[in-house]
Amino acid sequence: MKVNAVETFKIIQEKLHNSKDLKSRVVQFFGTELKICYIAEITDNELLTNGLIYPICSYVGQKNKDVYSTLKNAISTIETVDCDSIDEAITLLLSGKTLVLVNKADKILACDVEKITVRAVSEPPTSVVIKGPREGFTESLKFNLALIRKRLKTEDLVVNMFEVGEITKTQIGVVYIDSVVDKSVLKMVLKRLKEIKIDGVLDSHYLVSYLQNKPKSLFKQVGDTEKPDILVGKMLEGRIGILVDGSPIVLTVPFILIEDLQNSDDYYSQPIRVGFIRVLRFIGVIMAVLLPGVYVALERYHYKILPTEFLVTIMNTTQGIPFAPFIEVLFVILLFEILYEANLRMPQYFGMAMSIVGALILGDTAISAGLVSPPTVMIVALSGIIFYIIPSQAAQFSILRLVAVVIGACIGLYGILLFCLFVLSYLSSFDSYKSAYLAPTAPYIASDQEDTFVRKTIKEMKTRPKSIANNRKNRVRRGKDED
Amino acid sequence: MKISYRQMSVLILLAFITLKFSALPSLMYTVSGNMSWLTALMLMIIDSIYVFIIVGLMKKSGEKNVYEFMTACLGRFLTRVILFILILKYALVVANVSKGMEIFVIENLYSEFHWLIFSIPLVILVAFMVYKGIRNIGRVGELVYIPVILGCVYIMIKAFSGVHLQSAFLPMFEYGARPIFDSAFKYVSWFGSGTFLLMLFGKVDFSDKKKFTIFNHLFFAILLVQLMYLIFYGLFQITSPTHAFCLSDISQFSGGDSSISELSWLVVSLWIVAQTVQLALYSFALTKAIKYMFNIKNDIVPILLVLVFIFTWSYLGKITVRLEEIFYNPISSIITISGAYIVPIIICLGYLVHNRKVKKQKLRVNGDEKVKNNI
Repeated sequence: MKVNAVETFKIIQEKLHNSKDLKSRVVQFFGTELKICYIAEITDNELLTNGLIYPICSYVGQKNKDVYSTLKNAISTIETVDCDSIDEAITLLLSGKTLVLVNKADKILACDVEKITVRAVSEPPTSVVIKGPREGFTESLKFNLALIRKRLKTEDLVVNMFEVGEITKTQIGVVYIDSVVDKSVLKMVLKRLKEIKIDGVLDSHYLVSYLQNKPKSLFKQVGDTEKPDILVGKMLEGRIGILVDGSPIVLTVPFILIEDLQNSDDYYSQPIRVGFIRVLRFIGVIMAVLLPGVYVALERYHYKILPTEFLVTIMNTTQGIPFAPFIEVLFVILLFEILYEANLRMPQYFGMAMSIVGALILGDTAISAGLVSPPTVMIVALSGIIFYIIPSQAAQFSILRLVAVVIGACIGLYGILLFCLFVLSYLSSFDSYKSAYLAPTAPYIASDQEDTFVRKTIKEMKTRPKSIANNRKNRVRRGKDED
Repeated sequence: MKISYRQMSVLILLAFITLKFSALPSLMYTVSGNMSWLTALMLMIIDSIYVFIIVGLMKKSGEKNVYEFMTACLGRFLTRVILFILILKYALVVANVSKGMEIFVIENLYSEFHWLIFSIPLVILVAFMVYKGIRNIGRVGELVYIPVILGCVYIMIKAFSGVHLQSAFLPMFEYGARPIFDSAFKYVSWFGSGTFLLMLFGKVDFSDKKKFTIFNHLFFAILLVQLMYLIFYGLFQITSPTHAFCLSDISQFSGGDSSISELSWLVVSLWIVAQTVQLALYSFALTKAIKYMFNIKNDIVPILLVLVFIFTWSYLGKITVRLEEIFYNPISSIITISGAYIVPIIICLGYLVHNRKVKKQKLRVNGDEKVKNNI
């Protein structure tokens, strides 16, 4: 390729359909005309002037054998890339680089004067902690990598970068600790990511269905986090992080169900308290999913099970309700889901008032009007609130709750038991990148119980979990290399 | 898809206890009175010995499945005969478990219940579990067995204050030892619990083997059953035959009043879960036996056959009076004795003879080579 500054610029203009945000400047350098082209909105104007144009114009050094190499010397303070083709140069131009077209040169010089607009680091709303770091990822891939590097000062940290998306050409970063990660899992992840054929990737969740073994399944098979400390913790256990430019959510694989029972707070608190909280979370999940279904089944088929005093209370409160318990529960669940959905998308200042209207006034009015009974409202509200003990699984659990209600109404307790067994059986059949979904409970892995329902102290956790495929058994090398 | 050594032990434990806590103690009382616990103890010890024999054979088989192993040791004809006997034995257990479960569910949970509502969800679930394979059943077993055992222990502790221990033991051997053997023969269909292991040849990973894992699980299973029987007979004494459901009746009548407490319902529910796992386990064994017997390549056809069997069985249970008697007639006892106690011995003998032949052949080959080398 021989560059003609004017002609090449014209070609670039044509390729970009004469887009108005493509700008150019002309400067002289050792008697040669240089054309600098860039996209104004994604270029740092100050850096362009002070870091690129000013050094070119004020260069007082010797001229090398050609202008191109002299130019590179002149602007050595900024990062540059040599482009062998116009297409390659355009790709870089679109990702914020500035192109310098030098007459008669073989290459086009792309200079990094990209404008980085980064949201300030803040605590992610999805993982608020009482103790521990509050830093969260932002939408900038570079910035997120910096947050990881800050915590992992090791030569073993590897970042693999590539582009996904035919049109968006989104930067994807795959991060892992080379000495810990299982190479076959890494190979599997990279293969799946490289095989993605998609026009655009706007968020990391676009990749989820490509990474899952069962893409249509209700259950989550890829972990996600918005916090660098959580990501690094997971990487130390052998997991792989997948960062997407433009998304503050980092995906992690392999993923096992127990991860959602664990919280970053757990590692900064007393182990006894953590054990208690984790058992509570587990009981909470079961209650949240099954409580409305069991209530319907008890009212419909097995009222004999209820203690007499409780049965009398329920009978008194449900007297005069025009609907069957199933319809009543279904109605309240739907109402709850609608209120939740509306509340989520409402402006914040408006949402507060609406939640009071929704929860208090609507609920109270429905009970006073005799449309629903107080136990029903209480049970559904309780189940709805408990979901958020594990917020990342709330969506899945709400579907399961609905199914449990329908089964409870149709078959009763026997149906709910079989349903539970079906869910367990279904989850038992899952494998996420060589890791059993229900590990370390099924299959039972004795050594991993130190961080399941009961958490040992950090000092006592000397081995990496066997539930996650990894390359190094011990967290700290002892004596001669044992691994 | 292999299961771990621990998962196999858990499945053995579940197989050992599940059938024993429903109608069996009350039925056995009619023949051997309060000595029934001795019948159970005797048969469970024999079953345990067979478990060790089968596990030993399993280790010897390496990666071979039971069909390949038996064909190598016994030849095709004998293998087919054994598979036929095993199909009958497994079918008997599947029928027994599903029937027991149906009665248990209907009597304990519902006042009115259509058999189709019982059968359809159960058949779908069992089909799913069997289709997903033994690894899936093993994992589910691992998940449910601790709550099931804790539930049983809770029921026993709760009932213990009302137990009249003297009645559970005395009078001993009032009519000699014969009733014990009579009841053992009559109700042997409820035993032979380790037979499913024959279909796990080549499917168990022995690499994570720990000492005494199987022994511990077996010991615990026997202890649990014995304690439950003693509590049952000590609690109900001569009225034991009128209490058809050991576990739920103990929880129902132990608290002084006749209502089941809320926590006991949880135990009853867990028991249904344990029975379902047992049903899936034996349906898996039946599926494999049919597959090997008729040389069927895929799993779908044998699974469908097993499901049709469970479904038909539920239907027949509705139209035939006292169909459950099929479980304690001499034919079913003979099937169980053949499948659970004679077949493993035949396989074992076959293996020993085959092994001896192979060793002799090796010696001969080595001898020939030495002669050649000398020449």
